[in-house]
Amino acid sequence: MAEVRIEGLTKYFGDTCAVNQLNLVVRDGDLVVLLGPSGCGKTTTMRCVAGLERPTYGDIYIGETRVNDLEPRERDVALVFQSYALYPHFTAFDNIAYPLRLRKTPKDEMERRVRDVAEMLGITHTLDRPPGLCSGGEQQRIALGRAIVREPVVFLMDEPLSNIDALLRVYMRAEIKRLQHELGTTMIYVTHDQVEGMTMADQIAVMNEGTLQQLGTPSEIYDLPANNFVARFVGSTPMNFIPGALQKENGKTVHKSDQFVIPVSAEMADRAAELCPSGQCTLGVRPEEIRFTTDDEGDNQARVFLLEPLGSETILDIEKEGLLLKVKDVAATQVREGDNLSLSFNRFHLFDDNTGAAIR
Amino acid sequence: MAQTEVSETTTSEPVPQAVEMAAQGRRLNPRRLLVVIVLYLAAFWTLVPMYWVAISSIKSLRDLAHIPPRFFPTDPRLDAWVTIFERRILENVYNSLVVSTLATIICLIIAVPAAYAATRMRLPFKFVAIVVGLMGLVALLPPIASAIPLFLLGSDLGIIDEKYTLIILYTVLNTAFAVWVLRGTFMDVPMDVEEAALMDGDTRFGAVRRILLPLIFPSLFSIAILLFIFNWNEYIIALYFVNSMKTMTLPIAIQAQIPQHELDWGVVSAAGTIAVFPVLVAAFTLQRFLVRGLTFGVASGQ
Repeated sequence: MAEVRIEGLTKYFGDTCAVNQLNLVVRDGDLVVLLGPSGCGKTTTMRCVAGLERPTYGDIYIGETRVNDLEPRERDVALVFQSYALYPHFTAFDNIAYPLRLRKTPKDEMERRVRDVAEMLGITHTLDRPPGLCSGGEQQRIALGRAIVREPVVFLMDEPLSNIDALLRVYMRAEIKRLQHELGTTMIYVTHDQVEGMTMADQIAVMNEGTLQQLGTPSEIYDLPANNFVARFVGSTPMNFIPGALQKENGKTVHKSDQFVIPVSAEMADRAAELCPSGQCTLGVRPEEIRFTTDDEGDNQARVFLLEPLGSETILDIEKEGLLLKVKDVAATQVREGDNLSLSFNRFHLFDDNTGAAIR
Repeated sequence: MAQTEVSETTTSEPVPQAVEMAAQGRRLNPRRLLVVIVLYLAAFWTLVPMYWVAISSIKSLRDLAHIPPRFFPTDPRLDAWVTIFERRILENVYNSLVVSTLATIICLIIAVPAAYAATRMRLPFKFVAIVVGLMGLVALLPPIASAIPLFLLGSDLGIIDEKYTLIILYTVLNTAFAVWVLRGTFMDVPMDVEEAALMDGDTRFGAVRRILLPLIFPSLFSIAILLFIFNWNEYIIALYFVNSMKTMTLPIAIQAQIPQHELDWGVVSAAGTIAVFPVLVAAFTLQRFLVRGLTFGVASGQ
């Protein structure tokens, strides 16, 4: 068990900067998800913690030890690879036993620990087989078993669920979270799937282009995105963005765009005046925060051009003068394609057009 | 081909007639037929000269000289074989075995780490290509062009007519080729598998020994056989560096069976048959390993 501390981590590959000045503290026993699109530096960060890459600048601490110059085997960290990276010429048993063999664990203890782990993961029946004869889900568990069996101080997971089918993935992510809770071991989990990040994490670190965008709990990330990148990346139906500017109308501040005039609270207007003097900012609103009525009255009118029923809810695709919005409604929606709706915006965010940062 | 197999396996209770029909269908499939014909032609092409050499070694002089040539000896005899063993051909076989085997092993001992470095150390491709190219420069020259300078160098050093000289030279000639082929083999093994071993607590050397090498063993073995055959057949360098029975390898020994006058084709053929034998054995072993290598199956999800 240990805390992982990353201070000013910078990693260059040739001239390409993969990670830039990253600071991150993973508290002991936490499950932190590194979330971001491919090429954002999340895997590189994790590989630096693993010891498979050397940082160009910066320090990495596991517990109180600075591990920059330690070999992977000296760090007591386990990594589950995206490809599982099982040893094809060993049986499942030998795959899981390999870390124990290297540590010269006595034979009977090794046997017991491998069987315990296999039982915990429900793969006892595969132990005699080579991984090539196991299903994808079983291979996944063998890889997990190999990481768990040696009781490392930190688990690293590199997109471990991206190669299994959708149904099993939903099941396995709960399984991994449960295991992590039971073992109480610090875990860094890399994924580009924001649903995986939201469901599993104690803390999410959103990354883009090598820099940390925001660190917070899943609800902080979702409800209070630090900038427009985080806002755009998180949320299974993406946030709606309405470009425009803040203006005074009748003594009240409004966000005025080509399509809508949306009143802004006095509090938010004060902050905006301070943080974004130009007033040029984009309004971001989540699909479930847009309210609507079907009457023809009201300022912000728009037409529904498509319904996307999802079973548990329906997404209304709304269009006004070239701007597309997605709005969430209940499954049994009364709205029909072609209806005119009057929209009101319940909770929204403002993002400075120059910096992309949230105004709050 | 796939279709006939499916029709076989999907029949829950195979009626004898159906199986027979499926088998017939397989035999008559025109694509399959074409493949079989081509393979038979290739086998014929390869085997006939070998057969001819082997058969010539037991032919009588009359059969050897007969026109049109005789495909079956009418009066088989072992005279040529007696002669060839009297001329101590087994010593030449021994020399060839020692030189070829050791040169192969040493070449691999050098090439495996070199290929490992070339694939795993993130060296730029150009750099690797240039280094390996320089290593292989000697081998790219026509052997006769390098043989004379090498001979002069060897005689200055006083190492002509030594088996170890041949071993060194063959190693040098083959290393670049071996590195290049092994490089391709190493690249086929995902980096992940080795990194997993490092994460599991292995050293780099341990990961290579316990994970990488066992995984590529079939390919490694194939390359070894190939190098062995190169060494076994090498003639021109040996011609310059062999002066006595102490070092004489088989190709030179075969050449030596051709005297200035009265050529005895039977004896030459017998020597040739002996030379082919280990290569045949190697080829059959190789085939078994190649089949095994293909069914191995490395990490999934790649």
